[in-house]
Amino acid sequence: MSQLSISALSKAYGAFKVFDGLNLSAAAGEIVVIFGGSGTGKTILLRLIAGVEEPSSGTITIGGHDVADIAPEHRGVGMAFQNFALFPHMTAAENIATPLRAAGASEDKVMAGVAKVAKLLKIDHVLTHSPRELSNGQKQRTALARALAASPNILLLDDPLRNVDAKLRFEMRLELPRLLRQSGATVLYVTQDYKEAMALADRIAVLAGGTFVQMATPEDIYMKPATLGVASLFGDPSINTAETTVEAGPSGVHVALGGTTVELADRYRAFAGRSVTFGVRPEAVDISAATGLDAEVVAVTPLNERTVLLLKAKNGWEFLSSLPSSAASIPEPGTRVHARFAEAGTHLFDRQTGERLHG
Amino acid sequence: MAELVLQNVDKIYRSRKGNVHAVKDLSLTVQHGEIVALLGSSGCGKTSTLRMIAGFEDVSNGSITLGGKPIHTLPPAARGVAMAFEAYSLYPPLTIGENMSFALKSSKLAASEQDRRVKAMAGMLEISNILDKYPSSVSGGQQQRASLGRALVRDAGLYLLDEPMGQLEPQLRAVLRGRIKHYIRENKCTTILVTHDQTEANALADRIAVMEGGMLQQFATPAELKVRPANLFTGTFIGEPPMNVFTGEVTSSGDTLSFTVDGGTTLTYPAGEASPALREKLSRTRSIALGIRPYALHLGDGPVKGKIMACQWLGDQTHVAVDVAGRTVVSVSHERITLAPGSDIALNVASRDLHLFDPDSGMAIAHGGQLA
Repeated sequence: MSQLSISALSKAYGAFKVFDGLNLSAAAGEIVVIFGGSGTGKTILLRLIAGVEEPSSGTITIGGHDVADIAPEHRGVGMAFQNFALFPHMTAAENIATPLRAAGASEDKVMAGVAKVAKLLKIDHVLTHSPRELSNGQKQRTALARALAASPNILLLDDPLRNVDAKLRFEMRLELPRLLRQSGATVLYVTQDYKEAMALADRIAVLAGGTFVQMATPEDIYMKPATLGVASLFGDPSINTAETTVEAGPSGVHVALGGTTVELADRYRAFAGRSVTFGVRPEAVDISAATGLDAEVVAVTPLNERTVLLLKAKNGWEFLSSLPSSAASIPEPGTRVHARFAEAGTHLFDRQTGERLHG
Repeated sequence: MAELVLQNVDKIYRSRKGNVHAVKDLSLTVQHGEIVALLGSSGCGKTSTLRMIAGFEDVSNGSITLGGKPIHTLPPAARGVAMAFEAYSLYPPLTIGENMSFALKSSKLAASEQDRRVKAMAGMLEISNILDKYPSSVSGGQQQRASLGRALVRDAGLYLLDEPMGQLEPQLRAVLRGRIKHYIRENKCTTILVTHDQTEANALADRIAVMEGGMLQQFATPAELKVRPANLFTGTFIGEPPMNVFTGEVTSSGDTLSFTVDGGTTLTYPAGEASPALREKLSRTRSIALGIRPYALHLGDGPVKGKIMACQWLGDQTHVAVDVAGRTVVSVSHERITLAPGSDIALNVASRDLHLFDPDSGMAIAHGGQLA
């Protein structure tokens, strides 16, 4: 049974519709990442579930009960925010204790609860500090501890790693799944960082244009994006694109690309004549072969443990290839190469609707 | 030839509360047409250095020469330097196109040539469609590209770019990095790029000057910084995810070399994998810091035993966190790997991927079996 379920949920402010008819259900203990750009309504969705705002229409059920008439503090929901939102006049321990106190726990239970969650988040040594004495990382851990303290059934995390530095964000990204699993809570986690989404999620719900464009496992989101929009939000560098048309002949199916033609799998035959956007992920562009699309290396730009090449085809089409930096040979700028496209990272999208064509 | 030379440059901010020595004895040569990044976290001295080169700050000691001529005593406008800053600073009453051509007005270029250059630059930076718009009506990313274009379109002896790409749209960033690097190379623009973002520095720079505490830590190519970090600071600062560092002891006994690290793990290699000079050095060494890059830590077999904490696939790489005797080490693979959290795992590292540091001074002792 789903622990959290929203159905036909809509929110509008006057004539401005934030989203319309959202459906989502999350199982007990599941981590669902709500992914989308700024202004897509991710935070508002969390606020509706927390009960601090009311939906325009639709229902939210928690543990099978419609929560429309249940006050926020009785919904069994814990929340943490990107700006930490700690009470400045309280110590870290008092901050963490607030949800336990609000639930009327005895002082012994409060103390035990704070100690347990502080140990889990490795902040036991700063419990007596006030927020201004804490580093950003400690503030963020304190905010998480507060959200977890009352053992909520539902945990809402609004971009909690946004305001911590890159190193800490990376460490927390590795640590969070274990913490969240231990809490047993059903988690809705909002982020704009695709790596965070892929690293943490059991399922990712991509919010754009007021609807969930795709809701799937990280693997499916990455390997089988529903639309060109989804494909370009996941991956760094993002997917290469070119506008072209599917052509089919007796010898096979192909598209015109970069001043030549590129063969496609025969399963795309049904789309002959269709105007499409050809998409290929940079890591699926192989330049080690002796034949393929003729291109020149324009620039070589290392990217973490990979090296990104900017390539230019004969007709001026620019595209990127991303290779492990340990690759046998990384060509110099000015080198001519032949590019081939691995099938797993190559997609066709309908040029009008942006939807991926299932060959 | 516009070679930039900083020689023994100091920057000391004096006040009644005491002096702040922001840049300490910095010597740096940027070759004609070279792209150099000043990389460091806030307070490292990179921005003070940039401001001294631009002429917004006096040099406390030392000299700065451009093409052989001292420039540190000249007013900013007389230095022949083109600048693009993070805060864009476009002229609000001028359109994007006017902002870009404004910098060319004082040049002796024909109007048609000015126009051609602005259009070509706008095309490269994907802002051709907003040339008639005013800065306030375009996005932060577009303003930043316009500011960058305004600097690059000029003929200058030196280009100073301060965090020039921080606001760029993720979908454009990689292509623009490539185009800008190509443009700077083709036009032999001597360029200094200031950034706190190592991704940017690695992507664009021919050489990177890593700064910390006002001091130059290392000045080398991106590849060299990865393979031969001069000290623990550069070793752990450069590289994402960061280098794993263990402290422990080294013992050399005849035909083997062993490193026993905190937690009790021992890594043993044939002594022949270290150069004679390194073996000699290690025979007189006990405490050691051992650095291993995440991609050099291989999963499967080996002497390092641990438990999987997290296994995260990010599309083009997998990050695996392993608890080894109570501390977290990170392994990165370009393959897709699926491992269940909680399961046992062994790891290994080849001697050619070991970085040895003096744990007290932090200075590098050896990289891959050779003395540093």
